[in-house]
Amino acid sequence: MTTQATENMELSRWSGGVCPFDAGWRKVMMWAFIITDGLLFAGFLASYGFARLSTPDWPNQGEIFNLAFIAAMTFVLISSSATMASAVRAAEAGERSRARMYLWLTAVGGLIFLGMQAKEWSTLILEGVALSSNPFGAPGFGAYFYLITGFHGTHVLSGVLILVFTAVRWGKGITQPEGVEMAGLYWHFVDLVWVFIFTLFYLI
Amino acid sequence: MSAGKKTGSYGLYWRIWFILLIVTLVMVFIDRPTAQALQGSEPMFPQGVLIFILVSAMLLKALLIGSYFMHLRFERVAISLAVLVGLLINGAILFFLIVPDACRILGMTSG
Repeated sequence: MTTQATENMELSRWSGGVCPFDAGWRKVMMWAFIITDGLLFAGFLASYGFARLSTPDWPNQGEIFNLAFIAAMTFVLISSSATMASAVRAAEAGERSRARMYLWLTAVGGLIFLGMQAKEWSTLILEGVALSSNPFGAPGFGAYFYLITGFHGTHVLSGVLILVFTAVRWGKGITQPEGVEMAGLYWHFVDLVWVFIFTLFYLI
Repeated sequence: MSAGKKTGSYGLYWRIWFILLIVTLVMVFIDRPTAQALQGSEPMFPQGVLIFILVSAMLLKALLIGSYFMHLRFERVAISLAVLVGLLINGAILFFLIVPDACRILGMTSG
């Protein structure tokens, strides 16, 4: 084998694919963000699991939360994810007004979710659930509740702002379909995190 | 997005929404507080089985959202693998590392 052929073989072996993920840099970066942010939530939930497992008098969620209300919050968020997926689909297909309608619907879903979370928080605050004490049992319960749901709520608020900006810019023709897809990835991530919080914090 | 990449249809997304909704309703229905509120009794499953069902349903919902809403189903496998290794395996390691220690502390405090 000639030196040139050996060099070419080495080059093809180590140069990698032209685009290994077959995705634009925005999407790859968004996924990198989602993985790191997801690990942050995993850390929170693992910490909560530790506290929960090692505390004998952890409060019974059935006595504290209105499960039907929390299920309704979940319904709102899942529905907003479906409208977001439809917005991305419409943007891809070039259906501008349809994509804009679904973007606004998703933002409204996020706002409804935030309103319901505010209602839930105010109910618990009025019942005396504070960061370091509560009338139901383990003192750490309030801190974990406010930290985890608050951090998620902040993500929802950011998501609503992103959706509003995206909808306005899409309406003006500034945002491209890829921009709608990135907003969608973030919004679905917010929904995904809630699936874990809903199960681990409210149901189990 | 890459040109020509296939994604889902409107009908597919709303079918996934419907499945997510049904799974959520089942999870709430079989859970302990609902059973106590509806029938004034214990849930239909023992605690361990209930937790297994709820966690399985949670993972199913996460899989559906990731695969269809987040388009992983339509992307190259490399992205799915990066996400799975990054999130699920690290998350699982995190949980399995803390559970034995948490149980040990529980044994010390309640014993």
